[in-house]
Amino acid sequence: MPATSSDIVRLAREPIDAQALVAHVRGAGDGAIVVFDGFVRDHSKNRRTLYLEYEAYEVMALAKMREIATHLHDNFAIDGVAMAHRLGRLEIGETSILIVVSGAHRAATFDACRYAIDTLKRTVPIWKKEYFEDGSVWADGELPPVPAATPPAETAS
Amino acid sequence: MAGYNRNVPQTSQTIRVQVLFFGRLKEIAGLSEESAELHGDASIASLFAQYATRYPQLLEYRSSVVASRNREFAAWATPLHTGDEVAFLPPVSGG
Repeated sequence: MPATSSDIVRLAREPIDAQALVAHVRGAGDGAIVVFDGFVRDHSKNRRTLYLEYEAYEVMALAKMREIATHLHDNFAIDGVAMAHRLGRLEIGETSILIVVSGAHRAATFDACRYAIDTLKRTVPIWKKEYFEDGSVWADGELPPVPAATPPAETAS
Repeated sequence: MAGYNRNVPQTSQTIRVQVLFFGRLKEIAGLSEESAELHGDASIASLFAQYATRYPQLLEYRSSVVASRNREFAAWATPLHTGDEVAFLPPVSGG
């Protein structure tokens, strides 16, 4: 049953509390929870990573993350969604993205969680800078799909 | 050159938009956000071209820049209006 109003979508500058997010989406009618925990690895392209820094176009990133949550409810038989992305400096091993999806059955729950992380990495305006012993580099990213046609003129809401 | 947008006459033919840069684009331009005055027929493409005049290195990244207007991804030909918020975004790398 869609319950978008109870979903959690947030950007965090403090460590993400995975247990709290899992508990949040766990409903009496559920039988499965799938968690995607993306965390900072200690290397990138054969170089030793020291730490990462994430920045976001925060208001748009939150809007795009909410769109993903809404899409999950509309397209998968799931119950709850919690999605949190860290910003700022992250040390090796720290969680940068946590996505938690609950549902009655595992198949839709797995599928929804996979869709969420794949879509987030392609469409949410967040950037990662990798710091090494000898310098730093913006991570290779993905170009989000852009509407080909000119959208109708609207004023900012 | 840096004052290009101050040379636009203050008439009804001009618009004012908020411009944001992120990631390496922010580093190249040396600014994250500013208000810009443009001709009334400006598009996202012409806005970017104006900044590329100020910061030529932006041109190197033109093919890997995506723009948004009012927090939605938008085509380069999108016309702009006063009050719009335009952001220039490098390839995203969250997750």
